[in-house]
Amino acid sequence: MTTTQTQLFQTEKEELISGSEAIAIACALADVDVITAYPIRPYDTVMQYVSKLKADGAFDCDFIVAESEHSQFEIVKHASAVGARTFCGSSGVGWFYAMEAITVTAGLRLPVVAMVGNRALDDPGAFGVEHNDALAVRDLGWMLYWVATAQEALDTALLAWKIAEDPRVFLPFAVSCDGSFLTHSQAIVRVPDNKKVRQFLPNYNRGKLQLHPDNPITVAPQVNEDWLMEIRRQTNEAMLRATQVIPEAYDEFKQVFGRGDPSPWIEEFMTEDAEIVLVGMGTLAMPVRVAIRRLREQGKKVGFLRVKFFRPFATEEIRNALSHCKAVGVIDRDYSYGSPSFGGVLFNDLRAALYPLQRHPLMLSFIAGLGGREVMVRDVNQVVDMCQKAIDTGKIEQENTWIAVRE
Amino acid sequence: MATVAVEVVYRGIYQRTLARNIVRSIVFAARKEGKIGTAFGRYGDSPERNGIPAKQFAIVADTPEELEENLAVYEAQEVDVTINVDDTMCKGIESWAWYGLEPINKLTKPGGTLIVTSRQPAEDLIQDIHQRSEPFNLSIIPSTASFSGLWVYKDDHTDMRILGALCKVCPDLVSLDSMMAALKDQGTSDVKLSSAQKAYDRTTQRPVEPGEGSTEVPFSFDLPGWKSMEEGLVIRGIEQGGGFRGGQEGYQPARNAVFKKWSTRSMRPVVNFETCIKCTLCWLQCPDTCFDVTPDGLFDANMESCCGCGVCESVCPVPNCITMVNEAEFNDNNSEWEAWQKDANSYKQWMTALVEKQQAAGERSHGFHHVGGYAEEIANSRDS
Amino acid sequence: MTSVQDLPQVRGVKNIPVEEYFTSGHRTCQGCESALVMRLMVKAAGQRTIVLGSTGCMYVANTTYYSTPWVVPWMHTQLGSSGSAATGTAAALASMMRKGKMKQEPINVIAFCGDGGGVDMGLSAISAALQHDEYNLLIICYDNESYANTDIQVSGSSPWGANSTFSPPGKVHRIMNKRWKKNTAPMLAAGHPDCKYVATTCASYGLDFTNKIRRALTIGGPTFVHCFDPCPKGWDYDPKYSHELGMLGIETGLWVLYEIVNGELVLNGPSRTIAKGIRQRKPVEEYLMRQGRFAHMTKEDIKFFQEKVDESWEKWWIPGLIPFGEKEEA
Repeated sequence: MTTTQTQLFQTEKEELISGSEAIAIACALADVDVITAYPIRPYDTVMQYVSKLKADGAFDCDFIVAESEHSQFEIVKHASAVGARTFCGSSGVGWFYAMEAITVTAGLRLPVVAMVGNRALDDPGAFGVEHNDALAVRDLGWMLYWVATAQEALDTALLAWKIAEDPRVFLPFAVSCDGSFLTHSQAIVRVPDNKKVRQFLPNYNRGKLQLHPDNPITVAPQVNEDWLMEIRRQTNEAMLRATQVIPEAYDEFKQVFGRGDPSPWIEEFMTEDAEIVLVGMGTLAMPVRVAIRRLREQGKKVGFLRVKFFRPFATEEIRNALSHCKAVGVIDRDYSYGSPSFGGVLFNDLRAALYPLQRHPLMLSFIAGLGGREVMVRDVNQVVDMCQKAIDTGKIEQENTWIAVRE
Repeated sequence: MATVAVEVVYRGIYQRTLARNIVRSIVFAARKEGKIGTAFGRYGDSPERNGIPAKQFAIVADTPEELEENLAVYEAQEVDVTINVDDTMCKGIESWAWYGLEPINKLTKPGGTLIVTSRQPAEDLIQDIHQRSEPFNLSIIPSTASFSGLWVYKDDHTDMRILGALCKVCPDLVSLDSMMAALKDQGTSDVKLSSAQKAYDRTTQRPVEPGEGSTEVPFSFDLPGWKSMEEGLVIRGIEQGGGFRGGQEGYQPARNAVFKKWSTRSMRPVVNFETCIKCTLCWLQCPDTCFDVTPDGLFDANMESCCGCGVCESVCPVPNCITMVNEAEFNDNNSEWEAWQKDANSYKQWMTALVEKQQAAGERSHGFHHVGGYAEEIANSRDS
Repeated sequence: MTSVQDLPQVRGVKNIPVEEYFTSGHRTCQGCESALVMRLMVKAAGQRTIVLGSTGCMYVANTTYYSTPWVVPWMHTQLGSSGSAATGTAAALASMMRKGKMKQEPINVIAFCGDGGGVDMGLSAISAALQHDEYNLLIICYDNESYANTDIQVSGSSPWGANSTFSPPGKVHRIMNKRWKKNTAPMLAAGHPDCKYVATTCASYGLDFTNKIRRALTIGGPTFVHCFDPCPKGWDYDPKYSHELGMLGIETGLWVLYEIVNGELVLNGPSRTIAKGIRQRKPVEEYLMRQGRFAHMTKEDIKFFQEKVDESWEKWWIPGLIPFGEKEEA
């Protein structure tokens, strides 16, 4: 660390910063070694802050502007194999351009941390948020987390290295941040001090898997059918172990920093006695909470469950939270053309998770807020009305509804 | 009969077209008798490497259901006939993505037949073939292994001779008449058809009894499971090398303990250590790092690594200092340098005899030499 | 910039180091010249080296799981990623050493690619790597003139007219590959003037090869070496001629041996004597007729091929390297 770096983060303080800036500061606090950038809105704001921190001597890292997203992810992948702490990120089709590198990073069990500034996929080109970019890696061995606030972005980034670099896990971690609403909006954020971060997050140690002349290993030789199932099984086990490591990391976070969320997996809002529970991910939480407060004033028993980790999926926690309500309305900021019930990605995973329950709530899928369109309070009301109607009639007339779309 | 399965064991690339001609012709011939069949190369052998053993299969059945019964396991677990188109593979084969040496007759059913193209007498071949507890038959087609490359096929009728012989040793498969009719349909010339007929007329079988053959236990390898495999797709590198045979002088690279390349080899270098001028070229230009540097500065080809490419022979500036000799002449992988150290005179006699025999036999071709070359070779082989 | 190792130039073929860092366990074709490139490359570099290998023969046939020929640390990288792999590895070493997270020492970083990975897909990442003059790294392209691993498909580095599974001579179209081989090394040299070292070589010339690898690793900054590799499988010849065909490629003037050191061009070996007029170029027919991939060519095809090679020696601004020149004043 540079002297400026040490001085700058000597004491805990409050800053007015965006989600992107919060993650850039997390990079400096975590003393990340190699960072790669390539411009695409909205994620690239994080790299603008990183480069400024570096330019001002507030952060010592090798900051490489790659010539494509594919190279961006390949560079950090290889840096991570040598034992460097790494960070990169992308958005929309940029994330897809890097997809080959993204998938091998998980296959290689490398704890790269990436920020996805969620953005709609081309064509047509659009800057606004949709979750389909990050969701594309849901089956590949990446841990996938959706944050809702700038504070959560900073905290989650620190937790991401902690969890990903745990030798029991060694899997990459994507911190998903809604474009614009999180990447570009500023909020008051408590920035922890250096010392505590060092205590929480010691250096990454690749151990016996480090690529170095002192440890001459061969990494990722070609395999045939004699081997691949065993290798896939290892990655599956690592993801399974992550479900143990994640709560441990959150507990330690609370111990070190004296704050933190009650559950790493989900955030519940007025769900305790709720008959209708809405479910969603990311910044959607805010308008939904506002709507629910108003509905509660009218005596409607409505609650909200925010899914934080999409991978590993919090099957048990979500089952427990949803088993007692009468209807669940899942608001997806994504689409899955031709999927079961033409439902959103979150909806279908959630419905599958609840299937083994003896008693199912009625489940309705809603597609909303695509391409950065705002999800308004009135939209949430419409969702709640449809859920209520299903409860009243005991049947679901329409399994999937697109909200606030012109006909 | 229900189903008949035939495998062709061949050297990758060099004999790919040959193997393909054989398995496809079998299926076409079966169609002539109203049967149904399939022909395919083993996916695990692809992409093929020059010289590395590979397999293609033909499976023929009376009905589609019977064929399906057999295809439920993609790769045949046993075959009625094994056709080996290079006799040096009688010592066993290892595909490029596999571990462990597989006996050439591993899939041959009890009472089935192993057809080999070879100039060796049966007794010599049997010495190489791993013994087994059930009897099988050996049938030899007297010819030199036919090697082509990827693009230009050496049409020396080897495929015809094998198909003719196959009809003889496995009458349950297809009749010679059906085979001839199918070949004719494919535009095969009368000269080539007569090669098939001749092979049919002349082919005989010799029973190989249980206990006959090589007593070597083929190298095998137990695959570890996910709990014992290292995570992160990591395997340990090869150790650093050191002195020759563990001594202080010379140099010997450490070598891979689980994969030996020698079943790729159809020839091996024989070195005249007395005429060697220690120019280092054989050692330097070997793509397989197979030369150990002896304490006296000579180069000893290690037969666990050598795959018989012949580069050492062609770069050696001293005439006859390195000679590539047919692999069939050898029964072990022992060090030539050690034999020479032990008894230089005996070594010289052994070496001279081998080299002379090789030179008399003429070139054992590993594929394309120059445009028009195959035509000359085929003409020469007819003359003899 | 981090320091480099002391790897002196080798004088005389007999002084090439005896230690091996690429041994047995690979499953390449008989007579594979690219396997020889791997071996001589790490022999020149020594033990304190990390090798990154992009997809291709030298990945698939070389390292088959649970088996490896590598003594030095080695890692796979994606087909188009040799430039990124080298950059990422070198950056990690530089960063961690600077911050005291790793012991300070010069470690060679070598990334290799075939012509598919280097001349085609990975060109942009290689170009980017050559701009990062703060990192010491070497990218070596083993050019066997086709996608050899996937079963010999034509690449941007395949010669005109060559048979491949994507350019088979047919009844109507005899010549399916009508592209002339891409001029990769000069393009990289001209395009990255701060890159201190770009060279071509061929493993048939073991000493030339060894010294070029060493110069590339010790000059500082990113470097590129392009290696001409006869491929017995795809070119279709008896594997014992790998060495000879490498020499023939150079003696016919198809492949030019040179190095560009700190902005100065030096021709080497037969290419030098050809350029000086001491030695005549052999006719390309001698080279073409030795390979099954050209067996379908007619006299006219060979003549065309010869004329193209003649043109590169007689009409190019820098023979064999730079195809354009200044327009002459009228």
